[in-house]
Amino acid sequence: MNRARPPALRHHRLQAILTIAAIATSVSLPVVLLSVGGGVSEHEIEQLQNAGYEIVVSASGIHGVNQAHTLAISIDRIASVAAASPVLSVAVDAFAASGGPQPVLVEGVLPASFTATEGPTERALFPAPLPLGDGSDSVHYAQGSYAGAATWSVLVSSPFLASSGEHVGSSLVLSPTADRTAGVRFNITGVFGVPPTSLGPTAAFGMVVPLSDLQLLVGLAAASASGAPPLDAADTVQVALAGGAAGDPAQIARVASAIQGLVPFYGVSSLTDQVDHVRAASSVLTGFYLALSSVALTVGLIFLALVLVRRVESQRRSIGVARAIGVPGRLIAGGIVRAGLMLSAIGAGLGVVGGIALVLILQRFGGPAVELAAGLAVFDPRTLLGLTLGVVALSLAASAIATRYALRLSIPEALR
Amino acid sequence: MSSADAPRIVLEGVGRTYGEGRAGAVRALDTIDLEIPPGQLLSVEGPSGCGKTTLLNLLGLIDTPTRGELRWNGTPIGHLGERERTRLRLSGVGFIFQRFYLLPTLTARENVELPMRAARVSPGDRHQRTSQLLESVGLSERADAYPHQLSGGEEQRVAVARALANRPGLLLADEPTGELDSANTEAILQLLIRSRAESGATLVLVTHNPNVSARADRHIRMRDGLVVGDGGGR
Repeated sequence: MNRARPPALRHHRLQAILTIAAIATSVSLPVVLLSVGGGVSEHEIEQLQNAGYEIVVSASGIHGVNQAHTLAISIDRIASVAAASPVLSVAVDAFAASGGPQPVLVEGVLPASFTATEGPTERALFPAPLPLGDGSDSVHYAQGSYAGAATWSVLVSSPFLASSGEHVGSSLVLSPTADRTAGVRFNITGVFGVPPTSLGPTAAFGMVVPLSDLQLLVGLAAASASGAPPLDAADTVQVALAGGAAGDPAQIARVASAIQGLVPFYGVSSLTDQVDHVRAASSVLTGFYLALSSVALTVGLIFLALVLVRRVESQRRSIGVARAIGVPGRLIAGGIVRAGLMLSAIGAGLGVVGGIALVLILQRFGGPAVELAAGLAVFDPRTLLGLTLGVVALSLAASAIATRYALRLSIPEALR
Repeated sequence: MSSADAPRIVLEGVGRTYGEGRAGAVRALDTIDLEIPPGQLLSVEGPSGCGKTTLLNLLGLIDTPTRGELRWNGTPIGHLGERERTRLRLSGVGFIFQRFYLLPTLTARENVELPMRAARVSPGDRHQRTSQLLESVGLSERADAYPHQLSGGEEQRVAVARALANRPGLLLADEPTGELDSANTEAILQLLIRSRAESGATLVLVTHNPNVSARADRHIRMRDGLVVGDGGGR
């Protein structure tokens, strides 16, 4: 017996393949957006939670925190504070023994405080203690006079060191401008690693120097014409709490309040607040992704409805015959709904797999920034299952349109 | 599963008009007064467009009259709801169409099983009854063939088996031999007559073929939506 499939089935097979492809495409978009977007947000939150400090003091706008050395000492005196670490980031030009100026972001720190506020990632990358000479930076700073002996030491990131051809023990010139003669020669006293992802906290800067050295280099140590004390500026002051206080929201709030009392015009925020802000922003983004995805899903489901209606039209006579011989509407409807559910379930399943595959492809072939973001993707089984079930449930609406059309066919007209 | 009793069918002033308004209205069936006793073999003749198929559709409850009353065993059924008419069609009416109208995606066996599946006959009974029917129409060996793999005569025999599946009391055949050669016409005719004799069902047969109508107990002639002749077999 020749069991060749009838032409109608072959025709439906092509329609089914196209429908599944449309639904799979529309599902893969939210899979990519939600997994990568969620992954990046989770990474940001994880970075904040593992920062190694709990409170950040910052000034609004472009103004920095002034009197950073003095403020750090004052904050250190508050109960439960383990360390207060002022940080100043400035872009300068670096001149190695050979070659022209190379822009690099330099971070000025109090070496001992910086080490005390390192998170787990940084601890694995930086030597301890930092080989930058005076750990408190108080000798050179000399209570605002900058009259003490500067160390002129610099820690260089391993990629920069490799590209410059320098080595620990050699020296390079750092200058606030592209003019080498305006710079100061620093001795390379150590090297630090960078995390595997450039979204990490330490990858943005290429060098670390004592805070006072950097202030002096870029003019932030200069006294004003009115005779007021030098700026002693930093961008932020990162505050780590000791022991159990680091994990106690009430203690964090108490210390933050005490710091705010010291600097009423600066912003004092806990990383818990920042985590909440990131989560809120992430929720907004997720909503945006879902809105964007709903457009794709709607197109997919409209396509499904069109195919089902088209299928009803092509089976118009068969449906008329079935109804004429007494097949109840519920059986005809059941057939259409089953077809819709099957197509949408297969399409959604393939869409999830396709979305994951697309993220994996982006991780390898997406270009540096895309590869990095795709590498952070998180595939939450609940989200993927919810997405699949949602699409399958929505396909009922598409099936309902086709079912209504089928059951409203005039039998005599269908048989004509 | 028992055979449905053949109903006594009465049409009183039955008419069917399609469309609305004077310009758009088409009077497919004018005013029909007709009584069909149980078990009768009735042939319906007439030129194309005279209303034969419309009459068959009304008798088979796949269309509703716009005028008059249709009764089965004294019960008005012409204006029943769709669900009730579907139930009556399933249990009491068997359709045979000129172009066979087998479902193309189902095999011969599945086509015959379809009305029984809809009537929720158990799989065992369904299988047994289907085998009997296919054997009775001489197609046991072709049970797994799809319609496009069957000849016209074979397709119509499957259609007859499907119409008989639920043992209906009323068989309606709309030019069942219209697309068949003379050998197949005779075979199908014999099959219908034999099936009707075995089941005691009423058989209403629309035909242009005088050899077919000659076998009828009674034949009516239609023209312009009216019955213009009603008499015994020739």
